[in-house]
Amino acid sequence: MRCKTIEKWLSDRIDGELSERKIKVLQTHLESCLSCRSYAAALEIIQDEARSIQKPQVSPSYWAKFTSELKANLSSKKTEKRLARLSVKRWQWAGASAALTLLIIVGLYFLLFFEKPVPEMVVFSYEDSLTQISQEIGRDPELENLFNLVVLASIGESLERSGWQDSPGFQENFILWENLSEEEIRLIESEIKKEEKIEEESDEG
Amino acid sequence: MSNSMKGSMADYSDDHLVELAKQGDIEAFAELARRCQERIFYSILALTKNHQDAGDLTQEALMQAFKSLKTFKQRSSFNTWVYRIAVNLTLNFLKKGKREGTKQVLDESLSWVEAKEETSPSPERGSLKRELSRKLQEAVDSLPLPYKASFVLVVFQGMTHYQASRALGCSENTVSWRMHKARKMLQARLRPYLEG
Repeated sequence: MRCKTIEKWLSDRIDGELSERKIKVLQTHLESCLSCRSYAAALEIIQDEARSIQKPQVSPSYWAKFTSELKANLSSKKTEKRLARLSVKRWQWAGASAALTLLIIVGLYFLLFFEKPVPEMVVFSYEDSLTQISQEIGRDPELENLFNLVVLASIGESLERSGWQDSPGFQENFILWENLSEEEIRLIESEIKKEEKIEEESDEG
Repeated sequence: MSNSMKGSMADYSDDHLVELAKQGDIEAFAELARRCQERIFYSILALTKNHQDAGDLTQEALMQAFKSLKTFKQRSSFNTWVYRIAVNLTLNFLKKGKREGTKQVLDESLSWVEAKEETSPSPERGSLKRELSRKLQEAVDSLPLPYKASFVLVVFQGMTHYQASRALGCSENTVSWRMHKARKMLQARLRPYLEG
C-alpha cells in the first residue's frame, strides 16, 4: 500500500470516516512504516490542539440583543414584502389601464381623423372643353371643316326642333330691333338686300 | 413574547416551525434562528476572525433564509440549509477582500466573556503549548479558503464530511480531499513545533 494513500486514510480515520476494512489495512501498514507512524502522530497533535482552542464565550445579553435586532429586521422585511406585492399589483393595473387608454385613443384617431383619400376628379368647364377640342382640331384642316359641318347641322336640327319657321322672323322681332343701334340696323338691311338679289338672280338663271 | 408562547415554540420540531414560518410567523422563525445562530456565528468567526463581521454575517444569513423560505423544499434540515447560506455569504465576503482580523479581540460592546486559559502541568510546557496553539491558529488562517472552510466546519464545528459537504455545496469526496490537503499543509508548517 502506497504511503500517499495511507496519509489520506489517516486523515479520514481522524474524522471517523474510514471503513473497518481500511482501518485494518492501515494498521498493518503503520506497523512496518516509520514515516507514516510519524505523520499519524503529527496529525493527532494537530487535531487535539485544534479541538482544545477555546472559543470566546458570548454572554446571554449579546444573544438577547441579537434576537431582538433579528425580530425587528424580520418585521420590517415582512412589511416590505407586503408593500412590494401591493406595488407590483398597482403597477400591473396601471400598465393595463395605460395600454387600454392608448388603444382607445388610437382607435378614436383612426375613426375620426383618418380619412380615405378621395380620388382627384378632373373637371373641365364647357368653355375649357371647347377650347381643348378647338386646339386639337385646329391642327388638322380636314378635321376642322368636318367639325364645322357637324356643328352647323346640329344648330339646324335644334332650330327645326324649336320650330323657328313658325316663329316670327327676325324682321318682325320688335324686341330685337329695339335693342339694335341705327348702324347695326342699316348693316343688316344691306345684307338682307344682298341676299334677296342673289335669290332673284338664281331664280332667273 | 409571553412565557407560555415561548415554551410552546421551544417544544415544536424544526419542520413544524418551518411550516409556521413559511406562513409569516416571525416568532417561529426566531425560534429556528435561536437554535442554530450560535453555531453559525462561531463558524463564521473562525473564518473571518472578526466578531463584528461574524455578527453581521450571521444576521444577514438569517435574513436571507427568511426571504428565501418559500423556496426551501425541506430536503435537508433547516440547520444545514441556513449553514449553506451562511458559508456562501462568508466565503463571498472574504473573497471580496474585506478586513480579516488575525486576532480575536474581546469587545465589551458585544459582551464577550473572557476565554478561560487552560491550566498546564508546568510553565515551560504551558508556554510551548500556547506557542503551538498560536502557531496552529496562524497556520489555519493561512490555509486557502476552500481548505480553511472545510477544516473549520469539520474540526472546529464537529461536522461529518457529509454535513460539511451540504453546507459547502460540494461532494463528500471533495471535503475528504480538502481535509487531507489541509492537514498536509498544517503538518508541513508546524513541523518545528511538532518534533520533540
